[in-house]
Amino acid sequence: MIQFESAEVTYPGGVHALQGVDLTIDDGELIVVVGLSGAGKSTLIRAINGLVPLTGGQVTVGERTLPGLGRRELRELRAEVGMIFQAFNLVHRTTVLSNVLMGRLHHVPSWRSLSGLYSPEDREIAMQALELVEVVEKAYVRAGNLSGGQQQRVGIARALAQQPRVLLADEPVASLDPPTSHVVMRYLQQINRELGITTLINLHFLDLARTYADRVIGLREGRLVYDGPAADADEAVFEEIYGRSLTADDVLEAQGGL
Amino acid sequence: MTETRSRPARSRLAEQVRPERPFARFRWTVTLVLTALLVWSSATVDASWGRLTEAPGRAVGFAQTLVANASLEPLGVALEAMWESIAIAWIATLIGAVCSFPLVFLAAGNLTRGRVKQPVRQLLNVFRAVPEIVLAIALIPFLGLGPVTGAVAMGISSIGTLGKLSAEIVESIDRGPLEAVEASGGGRLTRLRWAVLPQAMPEIAAFWLYRFEINIRVSAVLGVIGIGGIGGFIAQAVERNVFERIGLGLVVVILATMLVDAISSRLRRRLIEGPSPAAQARRERASVAGAEHEEDPE
Amino acid sequence: MSAPTGERPRRPSPVASARPQRRPRKPPPQPFTLLGLVGLAAFTLVTAWDWVLGIGFNPIALPGELADSNPAMVEGLFNITDADWRADYAELLRTHFTDPDSPWLLSLDSRIGSGLVETVQIAVLATLVGAAASLPLAVLNSRLGAPNRTTHAVIKTLNNINRAIPDVIWAALFVVLVSVGALPGILALTMFTIGVVVKLTSDVVDGVDLGPVEAARAAGASHAAAMRTALVPQILPSFASFSLYAFELNLRGAAVLGFVGAGGIGQAMNYYWSQLDFEAVSVIIFVYLVLVVIVEQVSISVRRRLV
Repeated sequence: MIQFESAEVTYPGGVHALQGVDLTIDDGELIVVVGLSGAGKSTLIRAINGLVPLTGGQVTVGERTLPGLGRRELRELRAEVGMIFQAFNLVHRTTVLSNVLMGRLHHVPSWRSLSGLYSPEDREIAMQALELVEVVEKAYVRAGNLSGGQQQRVGIARALAQQPRVLLADEPVASLDPPTSHVVMRYLQQINRELGITTLINLHFLDLARTYADRVIGLREGRLVYDGPAADADEAVFEEIYGRSLTADDVLEAQGGL
Repeated sequence: MTETRSRPARSRLAEQVRPERPFARFRWTVTLVLTALLVWSSATVDASWGRLTEAPGRAVGFAQTLVANASLEPLGVALEAMWESIAIAWIATLIGAVCSFPLVFLAAGNLTRGRVKQPVRQLLNVFRAVPEIVLAIALIPFLGLGPVTGAVAMGISSIGTLGKLSAEIVESIDRGPLEAVEASGGGRLTRLRWAVLPQAMPEIAAFWLYRFEINIRVSAVLGVIGIGGIGGFIAQAVERNVFERIGLGLVVVILATMLVDAISSRLRRRLIEGPSPAAQARRERASVAGAEHEEDPE
Repeated sequence: MSAPTGERPRRPSPVASARPQRRPRKPPPQPFTLLGLVGLAAFTLVTAWDWVLGIGFNPIALPGELADSNPAMVEGLFNITDADWRADYAELLRTHFTDPDSPWLLSLDSRIGSGLVETVQIAVLATLVGAAASLPLAVLNSRLGAPNRTTHAVIKTLNNINRAIPDVIWAALFVVLVSVGALPGILALTMFTIGVVVKLTSDVVDGVDLGPVEAARAAGASHAAAMRTALVPQILPSFASFSLYAFELNLRGAAVLGFVGAGGIGQAMNYYWSQLDFEAVSVIIFVYLVLVVIVEQVSISVRRRLV
């Protein structure tokens, strides 16, 4: 279970990215976080694995509470929380398999990670992760040679290789075209349903939010302004969250198309 | 990407085929070659590897002798020698820069035809390939054993490196301004002056400074064969076992080189990146404040 | 709007919406440029003039000096324009390379042959060992790769000191520590290689894609593991290119180090020079030039494929 209590993040420049956020997330939920750019979505997600430190309040993830974790405990926490990025963040020059094995880094002794000689068990986990997103046939292909959608699926596999309890996705489909975006979102949904991994996804496409989420959370200027089931999140709700009327940019299916 | 639905996990896992690990031919070849080189070199080279074990002991003893004999008394002589090395390096860099400059434009592929470029490039290569020490030795019968010989030798060698690298800089400039000058009717010289130079000059000048840094080390090296400078100072001290000079000479050469490196890096950065945004803003404000008023006679 | 002419317009612009504009004054030349040029000229004069702080370099008198100082040798140099002389010299080279009785036979046993081989071996060893040590050091030498500020500062200072010591001085020091032979040359050039490769490679680290590094950190990897899997693969091509470049430099350096007794072809050259056998010296220089040019061509084509 993840719990935010009066969580606050103020960046050194004075920007209040999160203000007084109280939030409880139960195990196994699939939550989509929406909000305008700069509303605090990225900050909220990164507060969960400590990539962004809280400047006030606290976040409890499972048995651990941030802030206040030592370096080692922080790494243990991060090993249980998988993360997927908008820019995929793969190492282009190495193979897909090597990238996925990066998810095992916390679980292997340093001599293995420094030499690149992973154990057969780790390789098996990585292969299964790739099979879950159906991209295993590219295991030995240079990661940079894959399409955007395939790279993001490799990113998901890398996160899955950690055998995480929580999955965080920061705008995972912002760089992808509509059909590919749906494919990636479906994989995330399937993984959440079949493996029971708590999933938090940042999106700014409202139709995707409505289609795939169980629950929608809206942020505006760092504050929680909406928290409810996805079924109830209609256009009025989104306009409330955004503080403005909706445009075509907010809907995936309105993108592209010549 | 034709998949539009993802299937349940069980069927996904069952149907996929895992690929075989490919044979990394490139990696194996490289490893093999490097290992072979390593083995061949270390096995057959005439090096007394056993002495390595004595080395740390001797190093400590040597360091102790240096510290025990440390004195500031030869400082004046050491500084003079260092200055001589710097002076030699400076003149050498100037020779290299001035003489290579015209050749640069003949050696740049985007400015001259292949027929001219190739021989010029080869000439520059010859200048580069000959080690400065060989050139210096070759010049001794003509110019004697002195700093000018070192400067000329290093200068000739610098012509080669500076010429080649400056030509590469010129080849990497943006074609746009060249076209613009041509389109407005500019001839070759105009193109050089207005399209090539403004783009290439900061980097070329930065390279001259970098070469200066390197030349200081080279002139220290040449000092060993009698050209003078701090190299000679240290080499003579080693020969005659004058320990206070060795230690002091080392300290002087290290500090002076690091100082010149630091100054040179800042100058180079300033050349390439231009004045700081604060300074630029200041100038802009000053020039706008002193603006001419457009009179309206009517 | 009419085309701009050379005269100041005596009416405000005919475009009604244009505000009256003020032309800024031309700014004075930057102090940097002015000071720079003045400083340059002053420094040149100080160092070139024939006085206590200068070396007495007179570019105008130089060609004359060169010509007058040693007329015999100057004439000798002009031989190279004589086609007959060139043919004779080529014949000389050929016999001495192939004649089994010649002391300069380009075989592995002769002084020249073995000197060349030793030079290559010294360069190879110094590059291999130096490059291997340089990779982790280059990571530590960059702000991204160093685990903390102190390590970064220490490594950076040490490497700067290393780079400030010319290879010949290192060689002289090592001769004191391990006596003459090839070993001090290898050790000295190893230090030199580390200096060059670490500086160049850590500069590349500054331009690397940080995304994979963030991903590794987010997966709970330690600093070392994150660097190894996310950073090193990105800098490997440049690192390899710089190592090859260091090999070229080492080949040149190994030849020079022979003069201080650190082995290689420099020692052969020193020997023949002291015997005043200038023909042999010229042969050595010629062979050495060929070697350097070949290595450079190979190196350039390999490096182009790497980056």
